Amino acid sequence: MEDCLAKKMEITVSEAEKRTGRNAMNMQETYTAYLIETRAVETQSEGQCAPVDSLWRRYSEFELLRSYLSVTYPHIVVPPLPEKRADFVWHKLSADNMDPDFVERRRIGLENFLLRVASHPVLCQDKIFYSFLTQEAGWKEVVNETGFQLKADSRLKALNATFRVKNPDKRFTELKHYSDELQSVISHLLRVRARVADRLYGVYKVHGNYGRVFSEWSAIEKEMGDGLQSAGHHMDVYAASIDDILEEEEHYADQLKEYLFYAEALRAVCRKHELMQYDLEMAAQDLTTKKQQCEELATGTVRTFSLKGMTSKLFGQETPEQREAKIKVLEEQIQEGEEQLKSKNLEGRDFVKSAWADIERFKEQKNHDLKEALISYAVMQISMCKKGIQVWTNAKECFSKM
Amino acid sequence: AAGGPKPLPSSGPKSLREMPHPLATTSSEEMGPALTPSPDLLLPRSIADKDLSLPNGTPVDTSSPASSSSLLNRLQLDDDFDGETRDLFVTVDDPKKHVCTMETYITYRVTTKTTRAEFDLPEYSVRRRYQDFDWLRNKLEESQPTHLIPPLPEKFVVKGVVDRFSEEFVETRRKALDKFLKRITDHPVLSFNEHFNVFLTAKDLNAYKKQGMALLSKMGESVKYVTGGYKLRSRPLEFAAIGEYLDTFSLKLGTIDRIAQRIIKEQLEYLVELREYGPVYSTWGGLEVELSEPLEGVSACIGNCCTALEELSEEMTEDFLPVLREYILYSESMKNVLKKRDQVQAEYEAKLEAVALKKEDRPKVPTDVEKCQDRVECFNADLKADMERWQNNKRQDFRQLLMGMADKNIQYYEKCLTAWESIIPLLQDKPETK
Repeated sequence: MEDCLAKKMEITVSEAEKRTGRNAMNMQETYTAYLIETRAVETQSEGQCAPVDSLWRRYSEFELLRSYLSVTYPHIVVPPLPEKRADFVWHKLSADNMDPDFVERRRIGLENFLLRVASHPVLCQDKIFYSFLTQEAGWKEVVNETGFQLKADSRLKALNATFRVKNPDKRFTELKHYSDELQSVISHLLRVRARVADRLYGVYKVHGNYGRVFSEWSAIEKEMGDGLQSAGHHMDVYAASIDDILEEEEHYADQLKEYLFYAEALRAVCRKHELMQYDLEMAAQDLTTKKQQCEELATGTVRTFSLKGMTSKLFGQETPEQREAKIKVLEEQIQEGEEQLKSKNLEGRDFVKSAWADIERFKEQKNHDLKEALISYAVMQISMCKKGIQVWTNAKECFSKM
Repeated sequence: AAGGPKPLPSSGPKSLREMPHPLATTSSEEMGPALTPSPDLLLPRSIADKDLSLPNGTPVDTSSPASSSSLLNRLQLDDDFDGETRDLFVTVDDPKKHVCTMETYITYRVTTKTTRAEFDLPEYSVRRRYQDFDWLRNKLEESQPTHLIPPLPEKFVVKGVVDRFSEEFVETRRKALDKFLKRITDHPVLSFNEHFNVFLTAKDLNAYKKQGMALLSKMGESVKYVTGGYKLRSRPLEFAAIGEYLDTFSLKLGTIDRIAQRIIKEQLEYLVELREYGPVYSTWGGLEVELSEPLEGVSACIGNCCTALEELSEEMTEDFLPVLREYILYSESMKNVLKKRDQVQAEYEAKLEAVALKKEDRPKVPTDVEKCQDRVECFNADLKADMERWQNNKRQDFRQLLMGMADKNIQYYEKCLTAWESIIPLLQDKPETK
């Protein structure tokens, strides 16, 4: 990542604030604004830091940015945003978007998003992205002026292409299949993990009841009293420890979620390929039809059934001049078509090449990140086990003094 | 998941008479001094006895107690030996299922080793069923009403809910029966009880039961005829304190029992989710190339944690809960003894009052009032001594029980820790280094 923005600029989403304002329909609404701070990275420490620039953005502006990037760079696996609404929650967590824990995790997710974009070799150079980070006022207008919404492919068109494309690149078909499976398996994993967290919470918390009853029991005992009382205290510690443990695990869940959403971005690239390929196939098909028509007119043979052919049979042949005119039009169209086909072909090949390059980059990133996530998960489990051993060892010592 | 409760091997109908006399067997000769059966034999974990054989390959008959020379090696009793010279050792082991036309039941081998004069032989081995233990307990309560009789595991088991013949149930019961007899053995008065002697030694206990003319101790005889018509005005302070203590004590134990059950329930529900969780990593691994091994590793790891958790829950169910319940039963029977004591005191006080009201100038107190006073004083003394003993044993039992609970949890976490630590290198492994 030679010249990416992330190397030149420190980017953080440092704060979140509740705001009230009026929305597009002039109705009052509450939303959260996030403070983006940026600072140029000093290559040599000179004792003085560069000044920090900052501006506030809300989630919808992040969404706009991402839309823009997805449309403008369809061959790139664009990093996903953190979830809009809290999903895969286990009972203790709130599903409320205004909940401070959710807002905090979202803040981290948004920062992560910006860092991902800033470290991407292609995306980091985008001017709109740069102005998102630096230009508070008028950014929305600048984005809309790019007219990217017009370039967006309609979903219907994309769906149509998926079903009708004949010869997509096999690698993309496989990749799309993979991204479907990945999405399915990570969803399943997150759902079960939430249930596991729920149950584990229950196990730990019930142990807190030992604390109370040991205390009550110790009151009627002479020699056993102290041991029971202090053991009870350790049971309380044990019960309380689960809160931090599960809080940490949420970060792991967030790492998995990022790749759940990345699967969607991957699929988008595959769909774009299918669309382009379909477009190409349609153009080629159209060209072939026109060439055939031209040939038929020139040679007079009707090879394919056409309404024209029927009407001319019924209502008489056209004049040679008419036919000549038609041929000329067709020949022009054919020439245009051939040029278009050539450029579409070229576009298609370029797309495949650059998309595949980014996909390879993405694969490496994914493997690296998920491995790190699994390692950190294992480390969390190890820490939890060690805490458990510690608490029960302490309790055992108290019992031994009974 | 571990298999369901395993049925015991059936031994077929066998009367107690067919059991070989311990000294008649040749096993004690076959087993040379070189071979000492492990202490585990005394309390077998599984019904299938461990196969032992001499160096020359001859299998050793382990169905009979070993010769006295290896006695001390084999027997590992409570840590509180107290330095006393013990002269009576009793063990319950070797459960066997008997299938008869009328019923199916389990018998346990009760082994006794003693140097006491009250016993004709130094060793005994008899088979007893729960009914027999129950009979013994009733006889002890009858004949030693001033003493605290240890509890038996619960008599009635709801059919269909618990399998009376499962290995786990039988083992739990065996341990409780063993504890029951050991507590009697440790008691300076109860261990000399005639019924206890017969229980340990008689070939045909049923015949003895039918006689019903066993000698009662003097105390038992007299207390037996105390009618319940007397009401005690007030319990002496120290016995009131004991009563209050037992009330709170059994209440707290009940709470602990409920908490422990709740924890086990929550753990099993956690286990259900974990069993679904682990395999998803494996499924994911199937989709990946470079991440395949790490994901499989995590899946296997979670599987190991599942096994460890299952073991923890089983152990708590089998080792922890029954002891709690035993003590709750103990408290209940102790409260009844307190009530009996109250009645004896009430009778004495009533008779004393009656004499005082007669206003006759009798030079001395009538003998039957004297007898009542005796009874009260004996009862109080026995009870106080038993309470002290009970308190001490209780403290040791709970110390052991709770330390055991802590141990089981420590072991659970250690197993999980090992599992997770072992996959760290797998997760960190770079493909190039493979």
